[in-house]
Amino acid sequence: MIDALVIVVIVVTGALAVFGLVLTALNRTPDRTLRLAVTAVVALLVVQAVIAAVPVLSGGVTLPETSTFLIYLVVSVCVLPIGLQFATAEPTRWGGTVVAATAVGTAVAVLRLQGLWQAGVGNAGG
Amino acid sequence: MAEPADLARPTSSGPGRVLVAVYGIFALSATARAGVQIAGKFSEAPVAYLLSALAGVVYILATIGLAGRGPRARRLAWAAVGFELVGVLVVGTLTVLDAGDFPDDTVWSVYGRGYGFIPLVLPIVGLWWLTRTRPRRNAT
Repeated sequence: MIDALVIVVIVVTGALAVFGLVLTALNRTPDRTLRLAVTAVVALLVVQAVIAAVPVLSGGVTLPETSTFLIYLVVSVCVLPIGLQFATAEPTRWGGTVVAATAVGTAVAVLRLQGLWQAGVGNAGG
Repeated sequence: MAEPADLARPTSSGPGRVLVAVYGIFALSATARAGVQIAGKFSEAPVAYLLSALAGVVYILATIGLAGRGPRARRLAWAAVGFELVGVLVVGTLTVLDAGDFPDDTVWSVYGRGYGFIPLVLPIVGLWWLTRTRPRRNAT
């Protein structure tokens, strides 16, 4: 994983959460802008997942909990699209908060991924 | 009487969707974590890992119950969320009193400290929401 990309991911998921909460506060249903924002964040998460999965699967990096790491990678990519689907299925003001909750969940998963990654890289001595 | 017999609001409507989403996230993460623990290192802490799996199942059932409609889904939600509250209180208290029996953290250890105490708050909010949306046979 790339530290700079992790920071960018945390910042954009945080911004997405704020955006969702603002929509709820303004009594607005999830709109096209929110869909585009979620799509952009998910694209970034896919890039991060590929960058992180390739060295692990090819044996370049050995992690203490490989299967946990890979499952969290999948979770980090899948939660937001499912959350957006659920948020827009019933168009109310609360859709924004649903997206915010899934964005926070995604951020927590990414932080956990980085913890597992650093534990592995630390053991390898570099 | 002129009032409709069942004035229950769906638990998955309005702000309830946020609750369902949070339950869904916990169902996913708790189940995935327990699956990895049981598949990979079950012998290290069988009690803790079985407890993780139980918590995952409870979160799944609560999500299904809260997301569904009708009296059966509501009963399932009551049972799962009630069990969840008892679970987090019992496991939380046991882990505070004697951490030795739980060599590895579970979702409910120390009242869900590892998860920002959300596991403690979630069932309280869930029970409140079930009460708020429950059927009222007489308009008040």
